[in-house]
Amino acid sequence: MNRFSRISTIWRKEFADTLRDRRTLVAMVLVPMVLYPALMLGSLQAFELQVSKLKQQEYSIAVASDEVRHWLQTRILDPDLARFAAAAGLPAEELPAAVEAAEKEADAQSGDSGRGRLETEEAAVHRRPPPYRLEVVSDVRLAVATGLTNVGLLVSGDLLPTPDSSGACQITLVMDKAEIRSQFAASALEGVFKRLSERVVARRLQDLHLTRDYIEPYQITQLSVATPEKLGGSIIGQVVALILVVMTITGAIYPAIDLTAGERERGTLETLMAAPVPKVDLIAGKFVVVASIGMLSAVLNLLSIGGTVYLGGLGDVLTKEGGITIPLRTLPLVLVTLIPLAVMFSAVLLAVCSFARSFKEAQNYVMPVMVVALIPAVVGLLPGTELEGPLLIMPVTNIVILTRELFMGEINRAGVLWVTLSTCIYALAAVGVAAKLFGQEAVLFADSASIRTLLKRKFFKPSNWPSAAQALLLMAVVYLLNFFIQQSLFRAGLAPGSPEHLAGFALTLVLLLAALPMGVALYTRVRISTTFSLSPPRWRGLAAGLCIGLSSWVLALVWMSLQERILPLPPDFKEAVAPYEQMLQRLSVPTVLFFFAILPAFCEEMFFRGYALSGLRNVMGKTGAVLLVAFAFGMTHMSIQRLPLTAALGCLLGLLVIRWGSIWPAVLAHVLHNSIILLITREEGLLPLLKRAGFVDPVTEDVFPPLPWLIGAAVLLLIGLALCVKRSRPVGQFADGFGQSGGDLLGVARQQRPAVKD
Amino acid sequence: MIEVQELTKVFPNPDGSEKTAVDNISFRVLPHEIYGLLGPNGAGKTTTLRMVSGLLRPTSGRVLINGKDVTNHEAAVKRQIGYLTANTGLYQRLTPLEILEYFAVLYDIPRPQAGRRIAELVDWLGMHDFIKLRCGALSTGQKQRTNIARALIADPPVLILDEPTLGLDVLSNRLILHFIQSQADAGKAVLLSTHALDEIEKMCGRIGLIHDGRLIAENDLEGLKRQTGQSRLSDAFLHLVHANEPLLAD
Repeated sequence: MNRFSRISTIWRKEFADTLRDRRTLVAMVLVPMVLYPALMLGSLQAFELQVSKLKQQEYSIAVASDEVRHWLQTRILDPDLARFAAAAGLPAEELPAAVEAAEKEADAQSGDSGRGRLETEEAAVHRRPPPYRLEVVSDVRLAVATGLTNVGLLVSGDLLPTPDSSGACQITLVMDKAEIRSQFAASALEGVFKRLSERVVARRLQDLHLTRDYIEPYQITQLSVATPEKLGGSIIGQVVALILVVMTITGAIYPAIDLTAGERERGTLETLMAAPVPKVDLIAGKFVVVASIGMLSAVLNLLSIGGTVYLGGLGDVLTKEGGITIPLRTLPLVLVTLIPLAVMFSAVLLAVCSFARSFKEAQNYVMPVMVVALIPAVVGLLPGTELEGPLLIMPVTNIVILTRELFMGEINRAGVLWVTLSTCIYALAAVGVAAKLFGQEAVLFADSASIRTLLKRKFFKPSNWPSAAQALLLMAVVYLLNFFIQQSLFRAGLAPGSPEHLAGFALTLVLLLAALPMGVALYTRVRISTTFSLSPPRWRGLAAGLCIGLSSWVLALVWMSLQERILPLPPDFKEAVAPYEQMLQRLSVPTVLFFFAILPAFCEEMFFRGYALSGLRNVMGKTGAVLLVAFAFGMTHMSIQRLPLTAALGCLLGLLVIRWGSIWPAVLAHVLHNSIILLITREEGLLPLLKRAGFVDPVTEDVFPPLPWLIGAAVLLLIGLALCVKRSRPVGQFADGFGQSGGDLLGVARQQRPAVKD
Repeated sequence: MIEVQELTKVFPNPDGSEKTAVDNISFRVLPHEIYGLLGPNGAGKTTTLRMVSGLLRPTSGRVLINGKDVTNHEAAVKRQIGYLTANTGLYQRLTPLEILEYFAVLYDIPRPQAGRRIAELVDWLGMHDFIKLRCGALSTGQKQRTNIARALIADPPVLILDEPTLGLDVLSNRLILHFIQSQADAGKAVLLSTHALDEIEKMCGRIGLIHDGRLIAENDLEGLKRQTGQSRLSDAFLHLVHANEPLLAD
């Protein structure tokens, strides 16, 4: 039976098993279908009740003396009410109904949609004269602070500035910002004085025969060009992204625990481990179940929330009538963004739960991990974050930003590609870890060992190569560390080319790409020489490396030149790299060569073609491993435009290592490639030579290979490749029985080769 | 055939010290034979059986199943083993039929053949009444019959049974012992661990006595009785255990 149909059987069985579980159904169906609408409508009604109470509130105002009280009542509040009634053409007692109608009309005209309901209410009391009660107190501030009155009023200056006087009255409204009624009362009172002020100003202007333009030379209004769909998309994108993250996790947690730690607790894990199935197949089947349940749960939640919003009246509260449209075409996008989210969280959850021996233990592990996973989600929700630079590969953050952008109708194809691919790498690493941990002796049998011993050095079995899970995990870790280090180096504002910058750059390379994998290899007891393919090179291998290193730069130039015509680099990117290009021109040739050709070439080969390739080839086969590592190599160069180029170079270098069983031909080719690319634009480098050879366009100064050079480079590359064609007898330490695809991701392939003494 | 050669398992303790659970054990089980592994609690029987079935990796020594090393040919060897323990769980929300179909796929049995095999096992073990009920609703005996059917789904030449009758009533017990005997008669090599001495007496051709991780005696029933000068297996067992534990012997 082939692997796919086995995984699909495992998937179907686990799916049926999970769906028959009442607890899953409760978490997945009942909660979203019943609880959310009930909660939302309940809170909505409570909110409405509160708002209507606030509306009916009689506001109490504290004043310091009878004189002020009299003034406020007879000269300010009563006339305001009377004017309102007169304007409405009604007696004062019929005013409230009229006010209500007037408010609705004003709301519709102002179109301040999207604002919170409370804000709208506050604006409304600002526009109308509500009922007041005045209290004379000895200490106005104290009266408000103790809650005796809602608001206090302090006056200095003329009590009543007249149209003919030019005086002003300074009024201080004492209010308690922590009390909503106090806020409302202050807002209402402020409205009364604003209206009065307006009238005074209007009359003063009239007396002077001036118009309003005199005091308002600039009349400012805002006109938003956002279509209702876009506005809706931006709001809903944020809400939906958050809902999706939370709901995918909520839906996936239970099956993830049930299918891993649950198996152990029920005693079925032992039986399963006794079956002749690779662990990676079991985990793959379980992973698909957890991911699909996570997605299903998120969709149900979203439908339920959507239904509540549209049908239950919550939409009116959130968006007001007609202000925002939620475009239906965004619905398929929800499904698209769900996939990476579900893949990511299911893989992480499975990895965490595979470590646990019981339900309770799994729950203890899951909660902190998920809280940590939510932090990048929150980063993605911050306003202003865009899908660019390192955020493209920041796990979870990138998905959240992508979701928001998709809802706003901005389809960023490169972004989708980056997010999908980087998420796949992280998920693959997590699934690899899950497969490694699932069914481990220490997890399987409580009496066999403590879980802590899983990570103790003495219990790692000596081996010639790291496992695929270790390789994938380290690749993911290096990605993230690289992201954080690059960010902090950039923020540190070091001048490009300064000794500090060079030291930071070199240290990052050495620590991250050479020292870290070396340390991990030593700790996990894998043999350094085989892991990093450090065996001495053969002459033919070096010759192949030489041919490839001497020719690849010409082809790289062709690619860059073509790309400049078809898909030019964005100006921002050019601007960002300009200081670094200048730095490369400024530094001495030996410095440039050491820091930007030799050191990166060596460190990158150690990590990518050394640790990563030797770990992955066990499981993925030679071709798959070379391609994946080449892609990861391309990704660390952080430029989607350069990705095809760097990935192609990665393939050539991977081929050299696979064929010759040694890293040195690849190091040679890599150093040559880097060095020549750096030297072709330098006067004291290869530029004069290339100019003489007709390589440099005299007008545009563009470096482009003439046809004979192009043919020459292609021939040299072919010779390099021909040298890598296998003769009858295999060469190198990997040659025998290596790299068959398939097999157990972590176990079988490794066991078939003899372990070595550490 | 099962060949256990100088098998040792050392477990790390959380404090960094080590515990030798199985110490240099060797024995072999031939086709048509039921080999009884006998020993007090914690003697290392279960650890031995787990290593034989490929669930635990030996610290040293090796296990050959029909000539193939368990560690190096994990998948191929597991296909030849039917493994069953007293506390093997079942998927509570699946029916015995679904479980058998599932394991048939895991053991790579083609669909038509799997259907025939399941029908055969259901007949033999009298599972008709409950084959379509969820396992959560089954009695202990019905569960254990389902488990036996699961272990035998691939018709493996080797059976490893760790206390298969624990907690069963007399009727289920008899049915299962009868079934094990019929499997041995059909040519399977059966490695049986149990505390029920009468079962060992009735069924096992040879008996290995494990104590403190070591195999302290190996013989057929009569041989053990002769060796210890006792007339009953239980006395022979106590005699051997005491002889290997000076404190108890005093």
